[in-house]
Amino acid sequence: MEKKQIFLFLLGLLTLAQVFGQRDSIIVLDEVVLSDAKLLHFSKGAKIGVFKDSIQQKSGASLTDLLRYNSNIYFKENGYGMVSSASFRGTNAQQTAVVWNGININSQLTGQTDFNTLIPGNYDNVVVRSGGGSVQYGSGAVGGTILLNDDFKFNEGWKNNLLTSYGSFNTSKLAFNTSLGKEKISFHFGINHLASENDYKYLGTNRKNENGAYDHINLNANFGFILSETQILKVYHNTFFGDRDFSGTLTAPADENYKDVNHRSLLELGSFNERKVARLKVGHLYERYRYFPNKQREEFSFGQANTFLANYDYKYQLNKIALNGIIDFSSIRAKGTSIENADRNFMAGTFMFLHAVSDRFDYGVNFRKEVVSDFDSPFLFSLNSSYEVAKNYTLAINASKNHRIPTFNDLYWTGAGASGNLEVMPESSWQLEMGQSLKGKRYALSANVYAIATDNLIQWRPNNQGTWMAMNVQDVSQYGFEFGFDWKKKWGNHNVAWESEYSFTKSTDNTTNNQLLYVPEHLIRSNMAYQYKKLVVFYQLLYNGSVYTTTDNSESLAGYIVANMGLDYHLPKIAKINFVFGLKVNNIFNKNYQNVAYRPMPNRNFQLQLFTKF
Amino acid sequence: MKIRNVFLSLLIIGLSWSCTNDDDEVQEPLGDYENGILVSNEGPFSNGSGTVSFISDDLSLVENSIFKKTNDEDLGNIVQSIGFTDDEAFIIANVSNKINVVNRYTFEKIASITEGLNNPRYFIAVNGKGYVTNWGDTADDSDDFVAIINLQNYTVEGTISVVLGPEAILAKDNTVYVAHQGAWGQNNKVSVINTTSNEVVKTLTVGDVPNSMQLDGSGNLWVLASGKPSYTDDETAGVLSRINTATNVVDSNFQFETTQHPGGLNLDGGDLYYKLGDKVYEQNLSATSLSLDVALEGVSFYTMVVKEGRLYGTDAGDYASNGTLTVYDLNTKLAIETLTLGVIPGGIYFN
Repeated sequence: MEKKQIFLFLLGLLTLAQVFGQRDSIIVLDEVVLSDAKLLHFSKGAKIGVFKDSIQQKSGASLTDLLRYNSNIYFKENGYGMVSSASFRGTNAQQTAVVWNGININSQLTGQTDFNTLIPGNYDNVVVRSGGGSVQYGSGAVGGTILLNDDFKFNEGWKNNLLTSYGSFNTSKLAFNTSLGKEKISFHFGINHLASENDYKYLGTNRKNENGAYDHINLNANFGFILSETQILKVYHNTFFGDRDFSGTLTAPADENYKDVNHRSLLELGSFNERKVARLKVGHLYERYRYFPNKQREEFSFGQANTFLANYDYKYQLNKIALNGIIDFSSIRAKGTSIENADRNFMAGTFMFLHAVSDRFDYGVNFRKEVVSDFDSPFLFSLNSSYEVAKNYTLAINASKNHRIPTFNDLYWTGAGASGNLEVMPESSWQLEMGQSLKGKRYALSANVYAIATDNLIQWRPNNQGTWMAMNVQDVSQYGFEFGFDWKKKWGNHNVAWESEYSFTKSTDNTTNNQLLYVPEHLIRSNMAYQYKKLVVFYQLLYNGSVYTTTDNSESLAGYIVANMGLDYHLPKIAKINFVFGLKVNNIFNKNYQNVAYRPMPNRNFQLQLFTKF
Repeated sequence: MKIRNVFLSLLIIGLSWSCTNDDDEVQEPLGDYENGILVSNEGPFSNGSGTVSFISDDLSLVENSIFKKTNDEDLGNIVQSIGFTDDEAFIIANVSNKINVVNRYTFEKIASITEGLNNPRYFIAVNGKGYVTNWGDTADDSDDFVAIINLQNYTVEGTISVVLGPEAILAKDNTVYVAHQGAWGQNNKVSVINTTSNEVVKTLTVGDVPNSMQLDGSGNLWVLASGKPSYTDDETAGVLSRINTATNVVDSNFQFETTQHPGGLNLDGGDLYYKLGDKVYEQNLSATSLSLDVALEGVSFYTMVVKEGRLYGTDAGDYASNGTLTVYDLNTKLAIETLTLGVIPGGIYFN
């Protein structure tokens, strides 16, 4: 039993093998337990990577850390642990959607997610769904979508785990998770505390990252009740408190502090039988930030948004055809130092259709239309299909129209030389993708090509009075390919798993043909794990190609290779408690690198951790 | 780059010869960057460094990042402006709270001032001292000041407290005038500072958001205020004010329309120039009302300077790439030359 667990720990890496939807038939209850069934049925033809616990434990603390080494997303991080935004397939920070249990949680104020304010450790799984997904997941699902999912484990008894960790720069982590799964009730509670002085050395200088300390608390709590043979009630909650000093740059000191709070609550009532699944969801999302430009002083600016949402989702299975209609309502209120009370009411109708013609061939057609109180939203669709050409070889194709809607800042900001613009339209984006995968017993290969064309990109520019305003000023295109290779082998007491991906990304302004800011053309990542009995050694390598830092491509940041290495040792069980001792060395070659210009990343650093499971 | 410098030196010497061939003495060049135009480029807003570009007088030669090339270091974040003494240039990095002092002709660094500044904006040398406007902490409306710089040891030796948002600074004899644009907010004052006592002797009220000033040959100080922008929900008109520097009294105000927000006041010969919308207007010093004569149209400059019948205007483009400087002949209204400089070219100076 124990051996199997260790092996799974190692195998975690291989869950990255890219699957094109999931073909396994799933019994209805299993489906209803999922927080997001759209992924199961209506994402066929999309490239999907799933990350489970074991990888998360190895990959540091934040969602940035997890995805940087396990996906081909480029993160622009304003110094380690600071604001972190994604560039997925060459798109910008507002063109990646982050979805929590089926609900889009990108900030209503900025339209993006700070990936350092999400702690993946408490979720059952994190899914990276590449490519357009606005029909399924709404605004911002252009480059791709990150799904954070909580599952409910009925009948699995009481399980606990505790992780404690300490390392360089006075970095400490504490994570505790407890779950109880009975026949009719499932409960999970998780808490993380993450803190660091984060005063790493700026390599090549005699300076340190002087104002970069952070202290985060994250709570997750979920309850599931099986009310009857046809009904289930689920409650989800997530709270995040962040407190960060914001690092300066190589040329400017900083004395800033930023505190943010997020509450996310969702209640779902599911009713189901052999053919239909109906879900009624009501939810509340709250986001608030306070920015202290000088942390010695009391003054701060703030912004907050409350989102109340309700949706009704009805899925009907008619032999080989799945039909799904969803109607969403939400009401959003935002206010802040630079936003007077602003409201938005929003309604969306979604229709999704999947026809599994045979076990080997299926296709889907999906539509969405939103009616929004403060702008016109485009009609969205997606078409997708997957075909198992031969036993191990699958072809998939998808086409979609996606969007990114104007944020509250884009529309309603006032003050400090800047002004929102009520004339701003949503960005609309078309894309086409083709993927292939070849899977053997020991290996998996995948290759994807895609093209994206986005019109009316929203950017802030000064108007002729010198006031900065949001405007639809740019049309851009992306194309690229991604090639993945996974391999594993076992002999005697040895186990090896190796997982690599290369991506080529062209992301250009249609007028100038210049590569867009902060999009690496080449990115290679390679993770390897080796297990011998109770010892696991793993290695993470990332090659990040050069990125441009000016739109005329006159200035660039050098490419770099960063590597991390770690060791886990599974100690003998004591009183039914599993202990895993871990050591991780980040940036083992002490590489001086930046992913945002003038904001150095950490030097070589160490992290010790003890993981206990009981 | 060295070759280019040598070439430039030769060129300058050549020019000096040709200009001075009636004289027996040949003037030694003071440095590579004599006889040309210096442009300060703010640089990217949130991270990075501004730069300084050099353009030869005949516009044939452009050299970017001359401070970095000469000294192998960065100037700092948001290079707001450059101020000058006879031999030195004071390059102000606003966000870095730093002034790099260089020889204005060789650009070799002499010192850097890092203590005693807080959001520094503009520099002027008067009466043996340097004066630098500072916003102070932007959260505090009452800590704004003018720093007094000791020009021998390059330190801040004192401060003069002033009202909110000191910006442009200018001197008439030993009196300093500071326009209070209002930092992140708005203000409508001009401070008059006596540099012997280092005290504010008078605070004058002008239009809202005074952004630029010029001094004419008859001792009048012209102050151009843009008015409050529409997003403040209290939009006000731009105002051109004339201050008599003998009495320090505002003796005329020329009002624009409420939605007109002019900026970039310049003086060349007997005419004032300013930008408004997509036009540059000119106005004779003796005019008794706004004449609204168009000097140039279909243009939008980030900053502009008019000198000897030529207009030098910059375009910051998308603010995330190298900007340009275009030189116009105001007689023909035609562009003579367009040159590529650094990111957000915001200050133009004749060396």
